[in-house]
Amino acid sequence: MPQLLTVRVKPPKGRPIRIWLPVLPIAAVLSPFLLLAALAAAIACLVYRVRVTRAFGATWRLFCALPGTQFDVREGRTAVLVSIR
Amino acid sequence: MNGQRKDILDMLAEGKITSEEADQLIAALERDQPAAAASYEARPKGKAKYLRLEVDTIENGETGRVNARVPLQLLRAGVRLAALIPPQALAKANAELSKSGVPFDLAQLRPEQLEDLVEQLDEVTLEVDQPDAKVRVFCE
Repeated sequence: MPQLLTVRVKPPKGRPIRIWLPVLPIAAVLSPFLLLAALAAAIACLVYRVRVTRAFGATWRLFCALPGTQFDVREGRTAVLVSIR
Repeated sequence: MNGQRKDILDMLAEGKITSEEADQLIAALERDQPAAAASYEARPKGKAKYLRLEVDTIENGETGRVNARVPLQLLRAGVRLAALIPPQALAKANAELSKSGVPFDLAQLRPEQLEDLVEQLDEVTLEVDQPDAKVRVFCE
């Protein structure tokens, strides 16, 4: 599962900004909201007749497959990098 | 029939070579082919881990670059998740696609077909070269 989300923004002028976001601590902090979101998702699954376990399993696999994803966009002197490890 | 064998038979039909020469050439071709086939089979398949997209552009004298790396495992997981899309949503998506001039039935897409597609992606390389842009899609 993903451990670290790195965001690097290099504006045309000024110093580049780097943000490291540890996924687990942030998930722990946001756990009440995540729980509510999971509950809402489960209700939506029941409404649309989708098997809740399959939906959660597929979402979990998607989440676990995120490490290695990287987007690097540069336009002139501006650059944005998003990397998941 | 492969191209080389057809060339030999064409040369024989045109009288450029004798039947004995054609026989020798075909025998030589058959000797070479198993090695070539074996080397193709020996290529590491399914080794690619990432789908890469590289776009280089030049607009108004400024260079732009997009470099994306997506794990193939993420595509597989996405396919499994997409398989859970309810039929109502598929019907709406089909209607919107038809409105946009793309009469495509998403319900006909089976997850296993998409997974096969993802499995074969590691052999795909797509390159588009334009004077002001270059796009490259490949797996590594």
